[in-house]
Amino acid sequence: MASDSSPTRINGGPSSPDDSYSTPISNTFSSPAANTSRRRRRQSTPTDFATPPPSNRFPATPTETPTTNTRKKQRRTPISTPIASTPLSTDDVPPSSEGGDATDDVDEAPPMYVWGTNISVQDVNAAIQRFLRNFRDNNSDDLEGKYRRAIDHVIEVEGESLDVDAHDVFDYDSDLYNKMVRYPLEVLAIFDIVLMDMVSRINPLFEKHIQVRIFNLKSSTSMRNLNPSDIEKMVSLKGMVIRCSSIIPEIREAIFRCLVCGFYSDPVIVDRGRISEPTHCQKPECLAKNSMTLVHNRCRFADKQIVRLQETPDEIPEGGTPHTVSLLMHDKLVDAAKPGDRVQVTGIYRAMSVRVGSTQRTTYIDCLHLKKTDKSRLQVEDAMEIDNDLGRNAGDAPLDYEDKVAQLKELSKQPDIYERLTRSLAPNIWELDDVKKGLLCQLFGGNALKLPSGASFRGDINILLVGDPGTSKSQLLSYIHKLSPRGIYTSGRGSSAVGLTAYVAKDPETGETVLESGALVLSDRGICCIDEFDKMSDNARSMLHEVMEQQTVSIAKAGIIASLNARTSVLACANPSGSRYNPRLSVIENIHLPPTLLSRFDLIYLILDKADEQTDRRLAKHIVALHFENPESAQQDVLDLSTLTAYISYARKNIHPQLSDEAANELTRGYVEMRRRGNFPGSSKKVITATPRQIESLIRLSEALARIRFSEVVEQRDVTEAFRLLEVALQQSATDHSTGTIDMDLITTGISASERMRREQLVSSTRNVIMEKLQIGGHPIRMVELLEELRKQSSCGEVHLGDLRTALSTLASEGFTVLQGDKVRRV
Amino acid sequence: MVGLLYDCLGNPLGAVRLTFEKALASSSADPSKFDGKDWGVVDLFRDFLYDQASLSQVPILNSNSLRWIQPNTLVRFRGMIQDMLGNEIYVGAYKDGSIWRTNKYADVSQSPICSSSEMRFWERRILYCVPVSFPPSFPVPGRGSWIESSSEAAAANQNRIGASQQREKRPREDEMTIDDMSLPRENGHASQSSQPRNVTEGSFPSFDAVPCSDSHISCLVKIYDTPESELKLNDVFEFVGVLTFDQESTVDNDCSDELSGSSEDMLVHLPSNKVPCLHCLVHRKLAIHDFICETISSEFVLPLNPTVFPWTLQPKSLTIKETREAILRHLTALLGNDDVAAHFMLLHLLSRVHARVESVAVGKLSLNLTCFSKENVSLFGNRLGLAIQNLIPFTHSIPLTVDYLNTASLAPRKDYETNRLITGVLQLAEGSHLTVDETQLREGMLNSVGVENARLLKNLMEFQKVEYDFKFYKMEMAADIQVLILSEGKSNILPADLVVPLRPSSASSSEILTEEALESWRWYLATLRSLPHTIVPEMQKIVEDDLVAARQADRSLGSQDFSRWLTMGRLMSISFGETSLSLEHWQMVKELERLRTERLK
Repeated sequence: MASDSSPTRINGGPSSPDDSYSTPISNTFSSPAANTSRRRRRQSTPTDFATPPPSNRFPATPTETPTTNTRKKQRRTPISTPIASTPLSTDDVPPSSEGGDATDDVDEAPPMYVWGTNISVQDVNAAIQRFLRNFRDNNSDDLEGKYRRAIDHVIEVEGESLDVDAHDVFDYDSDLYNKMVRYPLEVLAIFDIVLMDMVSRINPLFEKHIQVRIFNLKSSTSMRNLNPSDIEKMVSLKGMVIRCSSIIPEIREAIFRCLVCGFYSDPVIVDRGRISEPTHCQKPECLAKNSMTLVHNRCRFADKQIVRLQETPDEIPEGGTPHTVSLLMHDKLVDAAKPGDRVQVTGIYRAMSVRVGSTQRTTYIDCLHLKKTDKSRLQVEDAMEIDNDLGRNAGDAPLDYEDKVAQLKELSKQPDIYERLTRSLAPNIWELDDVKKGLLCQLFGGNALKLPSGASFRGDINILLVGDPGTSKSQLLSYIHKLSPRGIYTSGRGSSAVGLTAYVAKDPETGETVLESGALVLSDRGICCIDEFDKMSDNARSMLHEVMEQQTVSIAKAGIIASLNARTSVLACANPSGSRYNPRLSVIENIHLPPTLLSRFDLIYLILDKADEQTDRRLAKHIVALHFENPESAQQDVLDLSTLTAYISYARKNIHPQLSDEAANELTRGYVEMRRRGNFPGSSKKVITATPRQIESLIRLSEALARIRFSEVVEQRDVTEAFRLLEVALQQSATDHSTGTIDMDLITTGISASERMRREQLVSSTRNVIMEKLQIGGHPIRMVELLEELRKQSSCGEVHLGDLRTALSTLASEGFTVLQGDKVRRV
Repeated sequence: MVGLLYDCLGNPLGAVRLTFEKALASSSADPSKFDGKDWGVVDLFRDFLYDQASLSQVPILNSNSLRWIQPNTLVRFRGMIQDMLGNEIYVGAYKDGSIWRTNKYADVSQSPICSSSEMRFWERRILYCVPVSFPPSFPVPGRGSWIESSSEAAAANQNRIGASQQREKRPREDEMTIDDMSLPRENGHASQSSQPRNVTEGSFPSFDAVPCSDSHISCLVKIYDTPESELKLNDVFEFVGVLTFDQESTVDNDCSDELSGSSEDMLVHLPSNKVPCLHCLVHRKLAIHDFICETISSEFVLPLNPTVFPWTLQPKSLTIKETREAILRHLTALLGNDDVAAHFMLLHLLSRVHARVESVAVGKLSLNLTCFSKENVSLFGNRLGLAIQNLIPFTHSIPLTVDYLNTASLAPRKDYETNRLITGVLQLAEGSHLTVDETQLREGMLNSVGVENARLLKNLMEFQKVEYDFKFYKMEMAADIQVLILSEGKSNILPADLVVPLRPSSASSSEILTEEALESWRWYLATLRSLPHTIVPEMQKIVEDDLVAARQADRSLGSQDFSRWLTMGRLMSISFGETSLSLEHWQMVKELERLRTERLK
């Protein structure tokens, strides 16, 4: 018997698939039924049955009893005897169709078709041969085809399988690809045969059975969308492994021994999950009845494992629970995945009956290939950093990736992209537009630079938010933390210096010293969010100096001297020194942090809560709308979180803007002016003076702004905006330089661009009115009269007394007017 | 056959088959046309149930009715979707000789499928449903008793009808079914249907701690041809379909490792011979007033058509205003003559999440009644608990102790061993009421479970979302649960929207409740709750001005306070049965808030 199943038999196989699989193919829906019919035919007409190769591979027919599955063991042929893969060939004579031993001979045989289709076995056979022989990579000019080399390699290492990229098949012969996906059972069987044939030509002594493993299908299905029409087709799925069964040894060949005479039977092959025990001894001399017993250690077993795959969270619709699907793994694939792994599998979707007579079918995927999806690509964690990671949509097929990029590029071309991104950032946090813009810059970051001399300039932007309680600083912080999950969120009160940087610990068992990373090191290339910065101990805070400028953490203790990278942006928030901002004190006095540390922050935002009727009104409107209007109408024009993440990570990865000449000039000019302002007589101590650090900050900010537009060039407008951000951040426009205090009426934080424009307009129209009505040093005018006047001509809609007051104090600070009680005098 | 001849009640499968044959005849005998489609069965049954108003004749499935309901008859089941067990592929149609037959809505084919015959595979979804008025894993004394009693009565009523019909129909059914195994199956059933009652409790690995109410059972529902988005987790539905018992799954144990491998998760761990299985023909989402209306009185026509506004069902022509007054009086008496607290209580009971914008759940109004002491909490707490149970169909309460926090499993979690979603206390149907008694909380250490549970509760209060634990990741599910907290001081673990110190002036409550009054109150709460609501532009302006003025006066007011006011304004006008905010009601809200802040001082 064993001799029967020589490798050549395998070669003879090609014709058989169409015999045996004729029915299944008639129609994919009914195929399982058809398979059954095949089974029945088998029993009745053994000659029909010469279909070993296919049955090796996909033996279990869905309608059969569950036990049939055991036959699957046969399919992954044991290494030593490829023959076992063709067990059934043993019990019958090759049918006439199997005329030739070599594949080539098949061509001469009358054309055979897979039943119910116009797929000719010979055609497929030839197509596969052509593919394996001739396929070449586009970019390699090798004389030998890609798979020729691969086959050689497999032979060399005595491998068991040949990985075939389905994209290659598609590129070479899309027709073959389609056939393969639609009729995987048949086509793969032929594939195996062709492969074995090629192998035996290259190395006739090679005995192992090599299988084809297809991967990287053109389209991958969502687990949710698997439906009856996919049965018996090749599918590709993504998911997370949630459970692996223990390894199940599956018997493939049994050997029996006669208890009477000790005669060993020939190997009995599993048939439909059953081993038929010989009823009597086959030794002609003995023929004892019911004397045969199984010899366990001479039987052959194969590994099998059942793995459960579950949908990843992003595929689950609202109000649903994740779907799962079973995977059947064999031989090499056993233990290839562990629970928690995210994988992409290619396999054949199959259904099998649960028990006899039941109408239910259990479905599973007969796994052909398993690829662990690179963790870093899937986890949002690295959204800020990793190449083609598209945030939450990570793991998309390359095709999707291209689409996505095109989409993002399209997005970046929109003229209002800056505003739109600002709106999309923490949309549920009210106002604070300028703060959000600063945070946006932080998310995009500038270009890190390393000069040949060794000096390096960080690209990360550090931001400090100082503000009154209840101005949603912490919410902003946690939002940013959510957006850049690489980031770490700590609270200053609970952090110690070592907790932030790194510390040396002794392993209690081995006594070895180990270095454990703290928050800053852990958030390398991310954003480290520190809440309650002011409550942090001075000691801990001083640790930040190094991190924030040099971007490293140096450790020198307990025999370990190390410098760890901590290329992190710091986003800290603090309350003013007296927990509420005191307008009578200067900005510096209010912030009350050491200037050395302050200067390391690129942007310091003073978020002051000022009784402003306008903002209150907008808040009221917003909330009323929230409660009484259709929520959908209110929510537009905001990018969702995943798009935002994708946008940011793409920009960080791919856009590296350079300063243009005008931009550079603008920078110099602006910086000089800033310095001059800092040197305002009598202000030396009370305002934050510009230092060379500031110009670096400005460069970083302008770069970030260019990045937001996906622009490779930093333009002048970026620089202007950077200056504006810097200024707005510290309320500098509202600061009285002579005293260093902030005029609360002039605070502009959280005022949207349109509002700011309205105010500027009001200032200029007030100026015009005053110019018209008043002479220098002349009679003062009452504010109410002025308001009347303004309302008459004003084009900017409703004017409130408060607005006017603001405008007048702006004018006063310019030295244009003087306010005396509620009277205005021009000077 | 003419439509009327279908015996939808006694032999629904017969009707299914007949329509299949008919549809097949008109479609050139090609069953592939019916892949994932209905061929008129649903229309037939819809027509039968709703247009011919036969829904009330369909027996309700519970453990009492389970004793006498025959398998393969039409039943209805009301329950919450507790878990989704995924899709199942089955042999939908097969060729028996030259005739196509269908297995839709059945577990077992009517004749043994010849393995050689042609087959079509179809797909159905499996849902695991639990009775809704009983939060599955928590014992509450006297919970939802009124629902139970009413359905009990209905069931008893059904019993008679059903039984008599059954007797009549029996011979015909036998005629019609060519099913040779139908006889043994029914026999097997009779013996089996008597035993499940004793076993139900322990039979579930996940629910074994559940002192499940005797008359309520869980049910496996198989759904056909319905878009996925229609049925969501935790939705409450009424399913009408064919009852079957899947006894054979027990046979599986002797099967080879194959089975225990790939199909174990779904079948082995579901004691389907103990849990009835319903092949759903028609399903309908239930709102709270569906539960009320039925109990009010049988004179009212059931809201068979969901579009019929429940207004028409108003009992006894009591005006809304009168009802409101009455219920307020009731609540006032309950709360020791505390009128203000009673007002807040009423608003609280009417609240629901009506929109979600970003992460904000608009419309929630959780209430924290403070100033309970050890002495009066047992009095007021119990009284309040009972009253709420009498008013709201799905109620639930948690005694918040350190011990409880450290041990309870509040969030549902997925057990991958059994592939089941194991329910948690917080897996509640939409519109449930949750009372948290914090007065029993003492000092103590919270372990990691406790911290997690506290966080879950807090998230529920703030966002009306519950995190389900899927081990490898967590998934947030939207919830709509009214939360009431009883505490000594302001609860910091559970930050409620409203903190109201209770000022009881008397402890006695001598009110005698009539069933009639209770009914009208239930109706009142359930109906008004779902009223739509708008605001006119003029009113909007006034409200905005008020908010701005308030914020100018007090800088500590934030968007949360404004949100609360608007929610209260909405609920206040809803409590008068009005659909748009009026100045009067807005003033009332402001006055209430003023009284409340005074108390807080």
